[in-house]
Amino acid sequence: MIGTRAFPVHLDRVLLTRVARLEARLLWRNRTALFVAAGMPLLFVGMLVPMHGKRIQGVDAALLQGTGHLALFLLFAVFMNLATVFTTRREDGTLKRMRGTALGDAEILGGSVLTATVLYMAQVAVLAVVLVAAFGGRAPADPVLTLAGIAGGVVVFALLASVVSGITPTTELTQLTVLPVMFACMAGAGVMFPLGVLPEVVQQSLRALPLTPVVEIVRTGYFGRDFTAHGVPPAVGVGGGWVACLPSFAILAAWAAVARRLAARAFRWDPRRS
Amino acid sequence: MENTAIRVRELRQRYGEFEAVAGVSFEVARGELFALLGTNGAGKTTTLEAVEGHRAAQSGEVRVLGRDPYRERRAVRPRLGIMLQEGGFFADLTTAETIDHWRGFVEDPRPRDELLDLAGLREQAGVRARQLSGGQKRRLDLALALTGRPEVLFLDEPTTGMDPEARHATRRTVAELVRDGLTVLLTTHYLEEAEQLADRLAIMHRGRVVASGTVAEVVGGHGDRVRFRVPPDVPVADLPVLRGVAAGIEVDAGHATATYTLPPDDLQPGVYGLLRWADERSLALPGLRVDNASLEDVFLSTAGAES
Ligand SMILES: Nc1ncnc2c1ncn2[C@@H]1O[C@H](COP(=O)(O)OP(=O)(O)OP(=O)(O)O)[C@@H](O)[C@H]1O
Ligand SMILES: [Mg+2]
Repeated sequence: MIGTRAFPVHLDRVLLTRVARLEARLLWRNRTALFVAAGMPLLFVGMLVPMHGKRIQGVDAALLQGTGHLALFLLFAVFMNLATVFTTRREDGTLKRMRGTALGDAEILGGSVLTATVLYMAQVAVLAVVLVAAFGGRAPADPVLTLAGIAGGVVVFALLASVVSGITPTTELTQLTVLPVMFACMAGAGVMFPLGVLPEVVQQSLRALPLTPVVEIVRTGYFGRDFTAHGVPPAVGVGGGWVACLPSFAILAAWAAVARRLAARAFRWDPRRS
Repeated sequence: MENTAIRVRELRQRYGEFEAVAGVSFEVARGELFALLGTNGAGKTTTLEAVEGHRAAQSGEVRVLGRDPYRERRAVRPRLGIMLQEGGFFADLTTAETIDHWRGFVEDPRPRDELLDLAGLREQAGVRARQLSGGQKRRLDLALALTGRPEVLFLDEPTTGMDPEARHATRRTVAELVRDGLTVLLTTHYLEEAEQLADRLAIMHRGRVVASGTVAEVVGGHGDRVRFRVPPDVPVADLPVLRGVAAGIEVDAGHATATYTLPPDDLQPGVYGLLRWADERSLALPGLRVDNASLEDVFLSTAGAES
C-alpha cells in the first residue's frame, strides 16, 4: 500500500550514478546474478557457430540470429536481472531504507536500471564486434536506428521488470514469474526461427510481443533492409528504415505505456508481510 | 521558525477492514524527545510510517517541519533520519562500505569515522552486513539514520535486540543529540528507556492514545500506593480513611490486603495518618510498603489490562 501512484520524474544525475555504482558493486559481489546476467549471453554466441555460412532471408544465418541476440540479451541483462533486483531489494528492506534518504524514487529505481543498461550495452558492443570479427558482419547500415530500437527495448523491459517484481512475493519466485515473458519472447520474437515460416495470422499476433519490434528495428538498422516484412526483406534507402519501422516503434510505445501504468499499480516498496 | 516539529491530528490508518490507528493526535516540539509506548500491534509502527511519509495519512492530518511528509517527501526527507523497526541491509557490503554508500545519498554527510564511532562499530568496519550480530545491525541502523545530520529523527524500537551496554550507549548517544537540538520520535517497549529519555510520551493501545503527557503527569494520574496485610484482629470496616481515600481490600487465601491509592501530594500526610492510627492502637501492620506509581503500573493498567 506504499508508494507514489505514478512514477516520479525528478532525476538528479549525481545521485543516480551513485545508486548505479552501488548496484554495480552488489552485482559484482553476487556471482550467481552476475553469471545469469552476463554469462548466459556467452552460451548464445556459441550457438551462432554452426549457423555460419547458411543463408536465411537473404543474409548469413549466423548474422541473422546474432542480430536477434542483440535484442534477446535484453531478457537476461535487463528484464530478468531487474525483476530479481527489484524483488530482492524490496524483500530485504533496502528499497524502503533507501527511500529514507535524500534519494528520490526515480533515482533509486533509475540507478538499478542504469547499471543493467550498462551491462546490457557492454554485451551488445561485444557481440557486435564478434559478429564482425567471426561471422563476416559489418558496421550497421543505420546505427542510430539500431540504437533507437535497443533504447526502446531497455525502457519497455525495465518497466516490465518492475511490474513482474510487484507480483513476485520472494526473490526465489522471480525465476518463475519471469518465465511467461521470457519464453514467449525467446520463442516468438523471431530470434530462434524466422517468423516467416508461420501462418500470417500467427505472425501478426507474434509481432505484438514486446521483443519482436526490438528485433525488427535492430535488424532493419543493421542490414539496411526492411525486416518488418518477412520473407526476403527488401533493401531500404536512407531514412526508409525508420519509415518501415514506424509500426514497430508504435508497438514498443504501446508496451511502454501499458507497462508504466501496470507498474504504477503493481510496484511495491514495502516488503510483503506474509 | 515554527516551534512544532511534528503535528499529528486525528490520524486514522486501516489495513483492509482493520483499523490499526483509530484517531491519534500528538505534537512534538523542536528539540523534544517524544516516546510512543504501547502493546504489540498497538499501531506505533503504522503511526510512525505515516509521520515518516512512508505511507499517506488515510484520514486526519500529519505535518513534519510544517509540511506533508508524504506529498512533499522530496522536500522533507533530506531533513529526516529514519530507523525502521526492521531495516534491511545489503548483505554483501561491509559496514564501512555501507556507510560510504549512504554518505553519497545525503547532503553534507557526517564523516565515516564519526559514524563508525556513533555505532560503536570501528572494529567491525570490514565485516559484511550479513555477519553482523542483531544488536550490531541495530547500531549500524542508527548510524545510517544519522548520516545526513537530520533535524528530526525517527527511531522504531532502536534498542531492541541490544545488550545492556549497547542499549546504554545508544541511549546516551540519543540523549546527547537531543541536547544538541535534535527532535526525536521514538517507540520502545523498554519503559525505563522512555522514563529516562522522553520529555513527553504517549501510551497507545489498539490504535488509540490512552495516556499522554510528561512522565510525571502520566504517572501522577495513577497515584502512589500504600499497602499492608490487615491484622487478623482488625475488622476491615475499622480501617481508617486516609486523606479522603478508603482502603481497597483484596482477599487471598484468607488474608486480607489493604491498598490505598493516593495522589502524590497526599502520600506523606496519608502515610503519617496511617502510622498514627496504628500507633494509637498499638497495631503492627505486617508487610507495610509504599510504592510510587511507575510507568509500568500505568502501562499495565491502561494498555495491558484488557488484553
Ligand atoms: N501491512 C499490514 N497489513 C495488514 N495488517 C497490518 C499491516 N501492518 C500492520 N498491520 C496490523 O496493524 C496493527 C498495528 O501494527 P503496528 O506494526 O503498527 O503495531 P506496533 O505498535 O508497531 O507493534 P509492535 O510493538 O509489535 O511493533 C497490528 O495488528 C498489525 O497486525
Ligand atoms: Mg512496531
